[in-house]
Amino acid sequence: MAYDRLSRDLLEALVILAVGVLIGLSLHSRLLLDAFSGRLQPRAPALSAPAARFPAPIDLAGLRRELQRGTPIVDARLPELYAAGHLPGAISLPLADLDQDLAAFLARVPRAQRLVTYCNGYGCPDSYDLAVRLLAVGYRDVLVFEDGLPAWRDAGLPVTEGETP
Amino acid sequence: MSGRRLAYHGCRLALGALFLVAGILKARDVTAFAGEIAAYRLLPYALNYLVATTLPYVEILAGGLLLWGRKVRGAALLTALLTVVFVGAILSALLRGLQIDCGCFGGGPGQSLWFALLRDLGILVLAHFTYHLQPTSKPA
Repeated sequence: MAYDRLSRDLLEALVILAVGVLIGLSLHSRLLLDAFSGRLQPRAPALSAPAARFPAPIDLAGLRRELQRGTPIVDARLPELYAAGHLPGAISLPLADLDQDLAAFLARVPRAQRLVTYCNGYGCPDSYDLAVRLLAVGYRDVLVFEDGLPAWRDAGLPVTEGETP
Repeated sequence: MSGRRLAYHGCRLALGALFLVAGILKARDVTAFAGEIAAYRLLPYALNYLVATTLPYVEILAGGLLLWGRKVRGAALLTALLTVVFVGAILSALLRGLQIDCGCFGGGPGQSLWFALLRDLGILVLAHFTYHLQPTSKPA
């Protein structure tokens, strides 16, 4: 008796699930086709975000604190420079290819996640520009390691070579 | 109205309202929801979208049925099963030390995973009482 009732309730639950899934599939078939065929483009950033937020600079000590917390580090330089040497664990997101790479990055790193960008130090504006762009697409907390890779290397810290995983 | 019926309707309405609201908030921006699921790093890329485009409507449907008072046992069972899955996902995120949004009620900062876990336990309690207090004497 009790078993019969449970299986009937389970069937009911399954039907509700199936109907809900079908509604979702039919309402979003375009989005799903795009996602499954890898054609998904990043959306235009929402403009409701609080106006004029700026990335905050951090120094080497600040960077090490963020690394300890597991904050993702984003390399704004060209892929060749990234391959020649980057901070251990850094994600390659070249400013020049941002339009093409943004969708994958958005899928990989949630907007609530704090980020640190860097490039080749004070002569290089890309890390700041990348941070501004990431704030514009909805990231809430983006820091810039202004001293960049040179300061990291000069401090005797390890540099990783090779392509991005 | 007896205490038992009062408790049943209270649990049913609270559970239904929670799922209806959660579903609507997510359905308003399924792409953002896909990103929030992706943050859990449990599913391959495209499957995040599959879940994001379907789960909100399952929640809306289950929540709506609970509020309406139709198929209450099936809907309560479904909310409980979904919540068990959510708890698993949240626990795995906590164990891996991910700093992510729960993604439970649409986008929004400051929803800690621990709080989400507690809330999910509360939802399980609501679902339990909704299921077991549901008057069964009525003919099917």
